[in-house]
Amino acid sequence: MTRRPRVSRAVYWAVVAFLFFPLLVLLFYSFNEGKGFQWMGFSLRWYQKLFSNSRELWASVENSLIIGLSAATVSTVIGTLGAIGLNWYKFFGKKYIQAVSFIPLILPEIVIGVSLLIFFASNLRGIGTVLDGLAATAPLGVAQLLMVLAIPFHVELGMGTILVAHISFTLPFVILMVLARLSEFDYSIIEAARDLGAKELDILFRIIIPISIPGILSGFLTAFTLSLEDFVVTLFVQGPNSQTLPLYIYGHVKKGLPPEVNAFSVILIVFTMVLMFSVRNLLKYMVKSK
Amino acid sequence: MKKNYGTWYTLPLAVWISLFFVIPIAIVLIYSVLTRDYTGGVIWKFSLDSFSALANSSFIRATATTVFIALVSTAITIVLALPVAYYMARSRSNTILLLLVVVPFWVNFLIRVYAWMAVLGQEGFLNDLIRWMGLTNEPVTFLFNIWAVIIVHVYAYLPYAILPLFTTIEKFDFGLLEAARDLGASHVKSLTKIMLPNVQSGIITAVLFTFIPILGSYAIPDLIGGTDSTMLGTIVALNLRTGNNWPLASAISVVLTIITSVGLLLYFLYNQRLEKVHLQFQEETK
Amino acid sequence: MKGSEVRVENVEKKFGEFNALKNVSLTIRKGEFFSLLGPSGCGKTTLLRIIAGFEDPSAGIVCLDEDNVVPLPPDRRHVNTVFQNYALFPHLTVFENIAFPLRLKKVPLAQIKDKVFRYLELVQLKGQERKKPNQLSGGQKQRVAIARALINEPSVLLLDEPLSALDAKLRQQLLMDLDLIHDEVGITFIYVTHDQSEALSVSDRVAVMSEGRVLQIGTPYEIYEAPADTFVAQFIGETNLLKGTITVRDGRFYTIDTLDMGPVMVTTDRAFEVGDEVVHAIRPEKIAITKQRPENLPPDWNVVKGKVFESIYSGFQSRFDVDNAAGYRFKVYKQHESYLEMGPEIKWTDEVWLSWDADDGYLVESTRL
Repeated sequence: MTRRPRVSRAVYWAVVAFLFFPLLVLLFYSFNEGKGFQWMGFSLRWYQKLFSNSRELWASVENSLIIGLSAATVSTVIGTLGAIGLNWYKFFGKKYIQAVSFIPLILPEIVIGVSLLIFFASNLRGIGTVLDGLAATAPLGVAQLLMVLAIPFHVELGMGTILVAHISFTLPFVILMVLARLSEFDYSIIEAARDLGAKELDILFRIIIPISIPGILSGFLTAFTLSLEDFVVTLFVQGPNSQTLPLYIYGHVKKGLPPEVNAFSVILIVFTMVLMFSVRNLLKYMVKSK
Repeated sequence: MKKNYGTWYTLPLAVWISLFFVIPIAIVLIYSVLTRDYTGGVIWKFSLDSFSALANSSFIRATATTVFIALVSTAITIVLALPVAYYMARSRSNTILLLLVVVPFWVNFLIRVYAWMAVLGQEGFLNDLIRWMGLTNEPVTFLFNIWAVIIVHVYAYLPYAILPLFTTIEKFDFGLLEAARDLGASHVKSLTKIMLPNVQSGIITAVLFTFIPILGSYAIPDLIGGTDSTMLGTIVALNLRTGNNWPLASAISVVLTIITSVGLLLYFLYNQRLEKVHLQFQEETK
Repeated sequence: MKGSEVRVENVEKKFGEFNALKNVSLTIRKGEFFSLLGPSGCGKTTLLRIIAGFEDPSAGIVCLDEDNVVPLPPDRRHVNTVFQNYALFPHLTVFENIAFPLRLKKVPLAQIKDKVFRYLELVQLKGQERKKPNQLSGGQKQRVAIARALINEPSVLLLDEPLSALDAKLRQQLLMDLDLIHDEVGITFIYVTHDQSEALSVSDRVAVMSEGRVLQIGTPYEIYEAPADTFVAQFIGETNLLKGTITVRDGRFYTIDTLDMGPVMVTTDRAFEVGDEVVHAIRPEKIAITKQRPENLPPDWNVVKGKVFESIYSGFQSRFDVDNAAGYRFKVYKQHESYLEMGPEIKWTDEVWLSWDADDGYLVESTRL
């Protein structure tokens, strides 16, 4: 090396300070006796309040976790299968799926939110109404059938629509991560398995899924994180009784967030760090034991 | 390959993405040229009202503001991210340095935005600090202006720029810098003339990862911004959620999509040109 | 039943416009160690994949003993493949890799253990069974791949350039081991390679392929000593080719008037007529090189004078490039059989005499590709 990177080192530490600074401020205020951002002295009362009397906050956390886990699960299943198909097979319509699957990745989130809201709130319900209308004039039997058919179209905005939206925008990430893992392997291991007598399901469950576990796991974690993080899309497709954590914060932030949110943020940071480090170590352990 | 299971593997994906992505986007396109129904929804009658409404001066200002905020924030982000990624790539303990950059982003996005309100607010940390130092007694308004919006955008999207830059710079052969120095280039020259052109793809990815989300940003201008920082996202949400003007919201979405697509198109054209140059080079060196 | 006969009849394979195989027919005998040899892109791997069942031929049939196997998928043929890049399952141990086909068939564990350990012994990998593929060396990986392909007791084993990723010394060792394994299991081996020394050293017979055609099928000795055409002659080992026209025929003896060195004497068992356009070939190691004109040579020896353009000493032998008066550059190998060389050392720019027996030369056809 000709010279120590002095300038870049200074910028690096300045940026790290910039990144941590607002979070340290939150940490600081979480121990504030007073309600606002004016320093009134040290106190743990907001931590107490957080665990004794913050039902709305915890309910939103619960909603976020339910949606995050289910969205990540569905997204991982659909995305993993899709990635396998896209990586190793040629078939009709492959180009279409390839192109379309990655568009949500590059479109502004708000466009996805708008399109899904319009879709849920107007079109599906419209189809439902038409079906109901037809049922009213149809002969017996057919009428019942039409009414049953119309049921899924009477969409109520809420947890269900948020879930569908989150699955949609997390799918590309799962596909990307599984694809990245699969591309490390040559198609010959599939041929080898087939040559040795494996049927398609054997190949899927004994070879493909086991080898892509790291990709599937990181896909799941990414989908889960993105779902927990999402605000814009959720804001559009939300309904009554479906307040997620970001919606809760947004709802309260303008009139001043309850101070226990400061305490909650600190606990969340600590919890995430512990979780991330244990996942990292777990992954390291898994890689080593391989 | 005798039997083909590709269709089966991708069937759920194809159905899902068509139903919950392609069709909704198509509907937005159609709605943008329909007539507004004041009770919400649309009347199925062709109309270019929403697009002519876009010629309105307040909308043009919002578009300009949006593009301005996105450009400035992206520029600052890249300028900061380059040396950070460079330092991380050259350091031997880069996992720790990487973690330090990533850890703040394990905190929920809205909490991070809120943290900036705690810093910049009228009764926030900075004002406390100023008062404590006795600089002024009047609270200073740091929030609700375009520069606050830009700072928070930079804050929110820095890691999205640092990570792709880090992965490309890490693959860069630093021996080339020494070769450049050996041939008489200054330290700065060797960085700008040798390293930057070689990590171009990383820079472009970083730009896309910051510029596109900022274009459609909603929460940050809504919470941090003021009257001078109304962005397109704010207008979309207003029209859709309270104004019941679905065709207009759709039309703005179409505009946002077009701006994004133009950016992407430039990116792909650029990539293709790179590939062509590369191929030519290979041909010539054969 | 041990090995199977493999009969390839009029097989064609087209990939779009590209003809990978052009009317290929060959019969591989029961229990034979058969090599498909040719440069990359000659169609040898495609032919192997058609026999394995990974590709369908565009035309023609492939028979195992009496049955046409073209309609059967790979797992329904008594054929298994050893892949070029090993294709080991990265998440399974050596034991589980080899046991994979047995696990699929739900064979009881005791039997699996018994059998896997027998094959581990066969490929000399006992004690490695708990390792994962990424903990093995290249040679060990290849042995696992061989054991895994053999455990189903196929009647034909296909090997697709199995040694190409290994270094030269290891390749020799594995080749010998492969030969031993072949003797042990006694099934038909079909071995694809672009390396002529691999093919010559272990095969019972070799098929030389180029641009989708089989040019010659024969024992290694036949292929080397009597190549059918100029392509085979040049691809297998090195050779000096002299184009010319037959001017005199006297029983087995022919005289050819060549452009590059005038009349050349040669013997051949193949039938040629006076006036035929032919190519005369002589291997570099069959040419004697001396500083003095050799005396008392029998009448059927060819002699030519030349000047050393380059000499490369490589221990056990030296290689000389020698230009004659017409400007043709001969390749000549001289074995260093004893430490004390007979005669003075031959150096760069020395005038030398090249000579060879008419029996050592041979006539080949011009390759019609």
